[in-house]
Amino acid sequence: MSEDRQGDRKDGLGRRQFFRALGGGSVAAAAAIATQPMTATSAQAYDPGADETKARYRETDHVKAFYRSNGYETLKK
Amino acid sequence: MARMKFLCDADRCIECNACVTACKNEHEVPWGINRRRVVTLNDGKPGERSVSMACMHCTDAPCAAVCPVNCFYTTADAVVLHSKDICIGCGYCFYACPFGAPQYPKVGNFGSRGKMDKCTYCAGGPEADLSTVEYEKYGSNRLAEGKLPLCAEMCSTKALLAGDGEMIAQIYKERVVKRGYGSGAWGWKTAYRETVAI
Repeated sequence: MSEDRQGDRKDGLGRRQFFRALGGGSVAAAAAIATQPMTATSAQAYDPGADETKARYRETDHVKAFYRSNGYETLKK
Repeated sequence: MARMKFLCDADRCIECNACVTACKNEHEVPWGINRRRVVTLNDGKPGERSVSMACMHCTDAPCAAVCPVNCFYTTADAVVLHSKDICIGCGYCFYACPFGAPQYPKVGNFGSRGKMDKCTYCAGGPEADLSTVEYEKYGSNRLAEGKLPLCAEMCSTKALLAGDGEMIAQIYKERVVKRGYGSGAWGWKTAYRETVAI
């Protein structure tokens, strides 16, 4: 049994060596990312376009009637 | 430019919940969501007060400030709207909002949330005005029809005001000058004598 393991190690990269190499590689990659300069990007608010953000409110007769019925004497004149 | 605002006259609100019902019916709001609700303070005691609450369409909206995907936008008439195509239902806006306006539909049996839903000031969403897609996602677009939010138009006691901020402020000022406010209001002492003061 133990001889087989020894044989595996001799053939190529063993299990432990493989994971060691993998871990070392990811640490190196993380270090490379960390050393890169951070580029600040400003938050971009959602812009649906000028047509959708335009004012829809209009003082129609319907709206004027609402103001008139809610106001007191000064608005009713 | 007119700025759209809501104002609830607490001296007039009688907690009838007609605004809540009208909103749900007009926009076919899904189960479990109320875009508007009535909050009552000191319920059942002399001097209780009710206020109808929904999205207040803040000038510097905290929901928009915390949104990780920036799905909020403000229209030229100061209505805060959002895109349900961009919303990921994270719930940050719910925690940020001081009025509890953002709501989420239940979409699964394990607490998963759907896209955020809130009061649109009856102004629809980013889709084309008065389109079927807009109605299905956000409800009706009464502002584009030249009308005001239905909750305010339906209010039987004229407590809930909506429209141009300057105009509704003028209406409210006139009311306060004419009838007073709180325990100074006309009829208050008849109802409560001197025992309750606000």
